[in-house]
Amino acid sequence: MTLLSVRERLVASNIANADTPGFKTKDIDFQSDFESALEAASPPVIEVEGLKIKNDGNNVNLDRESRMLGETNLRFNIASQLVRSEIKSIRNAIDEGKNG
Amino acid sequence: MSSPIQPIQPGIVTNIALPSLDSPEPSNEFRDLLSTSIAAVNQQQNDAQTAVNQFLSGDSSIELHSVALAGQRADLSMDLFLQVRNKVLSAYQEIMKLQM
Amino acid sequence: MSLFSAISVSASGMDAQRTRAELLVENLANSETTRTPEGGPYRRKDAVFTTQSTSSPFQSVLQNQFQDQTTGVAVAEITVDDSPPELHYQPGHPDADANGNVAFPHINPAEDMVDLMSASHSYQANVTAISSVKDMIQRSLDILR
Repeated sequence: MTLLSVRERLVASNIANADTPGFKTKDIDFQSDFESALEAASPPVIEVEGLKIKNDGNNVNLDRESRMLGETNLRFNIASQLVRSEIKSIRNAIDEGKNG
Repeated sequence: MSSPIQPIQPGIVTNIALPSLDSPEPSNEFRDLLSTSIAAVNQQQNDAQTAVNQFLSGDSSIELHSVALAGQRADLSMDLFLQVRNKVLSAYQEIMKLQM
Repeated sequence: MSLFSAISVSASGMDAQRTRAELLVENLANSETTRTPEGGPYRRKDAVFTTQSTSSPFQSVLQNQFQDQTTGVAVAEITVDDSPPELHYQPGHPDADANGNVAFPHINPAEDMVDLMSASHSYQANVTAISSVKDMIQRSLDILR
């Protein structure tokens, strides 16, 4: 969930700089070992490859960023739901013992 | 020719090792279990408090969801501990009743 | 605190795009202005964006290095177009010079109109970002429920 928060911030930054000359789109490096990305104190941030560069050197694609925004938000939502249901079942297990 | 029946030698009885009623091993184990549990629950409470303090003081290394998770963890371990304590207490009271 | 910084970042985006939009609107309104207090026709204005480290009001003075990697945006300067104005031959015009030429602003309304739409689109994207981040913050809090 921390990773997703960081990614959301990067996407916000990309969107804010959509018209800044020379600005290059940034994202989390998911290609590198996922496990180490989870462990790292600061997640690996890289510049995204393969984006079209406009005349002023900026390569931010608002459509891509909007998609990332939606995706990250959704994953975060899923993660928090999963965590909540885990907590709920642990709590149930604890409370079961109360009457058993 | 079978040998005549031997009279019971006193040594036979005294050589049997009786379990000493005041052996310290079992009760120490439980006491240790209890104190490590208390320490763990206490640690979780401290961690949760630290997380809250960190977050509120503007420390940018802690995420809101981490604070929430630390809080829930502390809650759950406290709940579990209290349930166990209640069980132990009522078991103890049962035993006390028996002995009267 | 990534999420709270994200809000600051998007807010900076909104500020910058709004400034840009304001300038474009000014350009469009003055595309035919031949007379200004400074003398001469209106000169087109443009905003130059640059990245800027944003700090959320909640952040303490000590941030770790990593925070600087996500940056907001700011208007570095407002440039005034100093290319030579367009001269149109209109001898009857009050601002006509000795040759009957009138200096008009060097503005292409169609271009600025498209830019305005782009600024509006970007502005909206920033608003959506803030809304998305707020949603995530709310879900973080839901863990406690």
